[in-house]
Amino acid sequence: MTAAALNVLGAATSPPIEYETLLPFLVLAGGAVLTLIVSMFPGRFVQRALTPIVATSGLLASLVLFAIQLNEPPELLLSGSLRIDDLAVVFSLLIITAALVATVLAWRGSTVREAGSGEFYALLLSAVLGMTLLVASQNLVTLFLALELFSIPLYVLCGADLRRNRSLESGVKYLIIGSLGSVTLLYGLAFVFGATGSTGYAEIGKAIATGNLADDALLLVGVGLTLVGVAFKASIAPFHQWTPDVYEGAPTPITAFMSVATKAATFGLLLRLTGEAFLPLYHDWAPLLAVLAAVTILVGNLGALGQESLKRMLAYSGVAQAGYLLIGVVVGTALGARATVFYLLVYLLMNVGPFAVIISRERAGLGDGLTGMRNLGREAPVMAWSMTISMITLAGLPITAGFVGKLFLIESAIDGRYAWLAVVLVLGSALSLAYYLRVVAAMWMRPVAKRTGRPGRVAAVAGAATEGGAGRFPELVAIAVLAALASIVIGVWPQPLLDLATDAAEAFFSLSN
Amino acid sequence: MVPILFFIAAFGAIGGAVGVVMLKNPFFSVLALVGHLFSLAVLFLLLYAEFLAAAQLIVYAGAVMVLYVFVVSYVGGADEPLDDGGGAPRALAPIFGGALLAVLAVAIGASGLKALDSEGAELPAGFGEPAQIGDLLLTRFLLPFEIASFLLTVAAVGAVILARRRRGLEPIADETPTDEGSS
Repeated sequence: MTAAALNVLGAATSPPIEYETLLPFLVLAGGAVLTLIVSMFPGRFVQRALTPIVATSGLLASLVLFAIQLNEPPELLLSGSLRIDDLAVVFSLLIITAALVATVLAWRGSTVREAGSGEFYALLLSAVLGMTLLVASQNLVTLFLALELFSIPLYVLCGADLRRNRSLESGVKYLIIGSLGSVTLLYGLAFVFGATGSTGYAEIGKAIATGNLADDALLLVGVGLTLVGVAFKASIAPFHQWTPDVYEGAPTPITAFMSVATKAATFGLLLRLTGEAFLPLYHDWAPLLAVLAAVTILVGNLGALGQESLKRMLAYSGVAQAGYLLIGVVVGTALGARATVFYLLVYLLMNVGPFAVIISRERAGLGDGLTGMRNLGREAPVMAWSMTISMITLAGLPITAGFVGKLFLIESAIDGRYAWLAVVLVLGSALSLAYYLRVVAAMWMRPVAKRTGRPGRVAAVAGAATEGGAGRFPELVAIAVLAALASIVIGVWPQPLLDLATDAAEAFFSLSN
Repeated sequence: MVPILFFIAAFGAIGGAVGVVMLKNPFFSVLALVGHLFSLAVLFLLLYAEFLAAAQLIVYAGAVMVLYVFVVSYVGGADEPLDDGGGAPRALAPIFGGALLAVLAVAIGASGLKALDSEGAELPAGFGEPAQIGDLLLTRFLLPFEIASFLLTVAAVGAVILARRRRGLEPIADETPTDEGSS
């Protein structure tokens, strides 16, 4: 217990509560509760339309309220529990956008019905609240509770497709491994608190810098365990083993949300921890994270190579992307933070499109396998084009957003004297072309008549897909097309997103430097 | 008095933890966990954290453990000893466990034992009392306190979703497609 904490014990005056700045968080919490209450009323209209509308309005309202706070001076809230700066705002905007996409993707699917409309959306909103709190959190206690607030709803949402054993397996697996990650993190946080005597990020950084703690074994173990705990959540190799199984088993809209939003939340946390609390220990953790980044890039790309299930493939690709993102954290500069934030924004654009296409194929009864993609080029050319663009963006070919994102990461790596990581990134991207282009080939190539087998069945299923697949779900087409268009537009004109990323990085690094 | 009590509680805590892992019968494992948690409560008392000790006894040794005992008696398992899976996990577990133990031993040995001969930090009057913890929860840690309350609500909602499977699912309305295809 520190002197600072004990001083507070004496003076029991209530702290000021900045309701105005807290409003976006309150709207999310209120939205979750309101969604639950609304969904209690019976009737098809309430379940199918009103509940999603209430949840979406909550998300939209919070999005707008966050957007208003962009470019405002940083503000510490609730006796230093939260810090609303551009980093928090940009990450929150990203997470809420991912949630909005997920609500659209889930809208007419089976998961919402299985889990109950109100419960599904309320859990989604709670997860968003947890993530937005996490990226704004400013002390270890808030950090851990916010992490749990987004993890627990996600465990349930992964298992929400109650009729499917794979979904339940995914939920249980995520629960067990996620809890292991949480416990590791908590253990690490306890050591950090024990060594520095404070829970606030800024105070921890100060205590390390002034207290001559750089060689303190207790602190180093704490930092190590903390980073491992975050690595579990961010699916950084070798702590990624849960990712393919969970992504494959979870309901696809939830997979889409998790792949983007969880990554954003954990990398937001990682930027804050490494850039503020652990910055004085830079020379201890940077080489470690650099090795992890290289391993993650290789493991992710090699793992994705032979996958038949697209969701599994995207899971491994997500692992590889986590490795790319880690490069921006490793260099520990404003340039690196900007590259990571920019790549996360781009990752949202390029990753949701493929999931929309997968969902349309699943709803047509074709599953999420590579075989389900056959003939997509002829049946639904719009979807196939969007998917092609998304795949090319993920691979990082020129004129796409993915290319620009990787360029910034490489720039930051070379500037931060980690040029060998840039080489690994380029090698990994080259490797990734193999599996991304396999999907493109499956969509556009004419299937060999002999190899498809059972021609009657294929034709029948294909016919069902034409009418029942993409055409019946215009919202899926819209998301796939928008994501693909945005990938190209940002690839040609990255300035708007780059400005956002610059704001986020600067708001943060002006403090720590 | 204090050193004797400390060593009794410390060995109780370690012995209880070892017992949870080593005992084959789940019922005895739960009892060992009760012993472990009780010893921890004693350690909290020795650290002048009276409120924490009481909460530990009431919440863990009391409520949570009773729940565990109920589960073990309902689900059974007393006659089937726990299986540790065997195979790779069994071979790797001691290696990773040993590595973690070594790291922690170095960490605690290097810095945690510095205060061994001292009397510890000066404590202000009333330290660890419920009133002070209450103050902290409503001032400095107001936000974590509120997040925790919201988290409990969310966990209850999640439990309701999962419990629905036990009650039996409604038949699928066939006009809407499923999210997962025929795969």
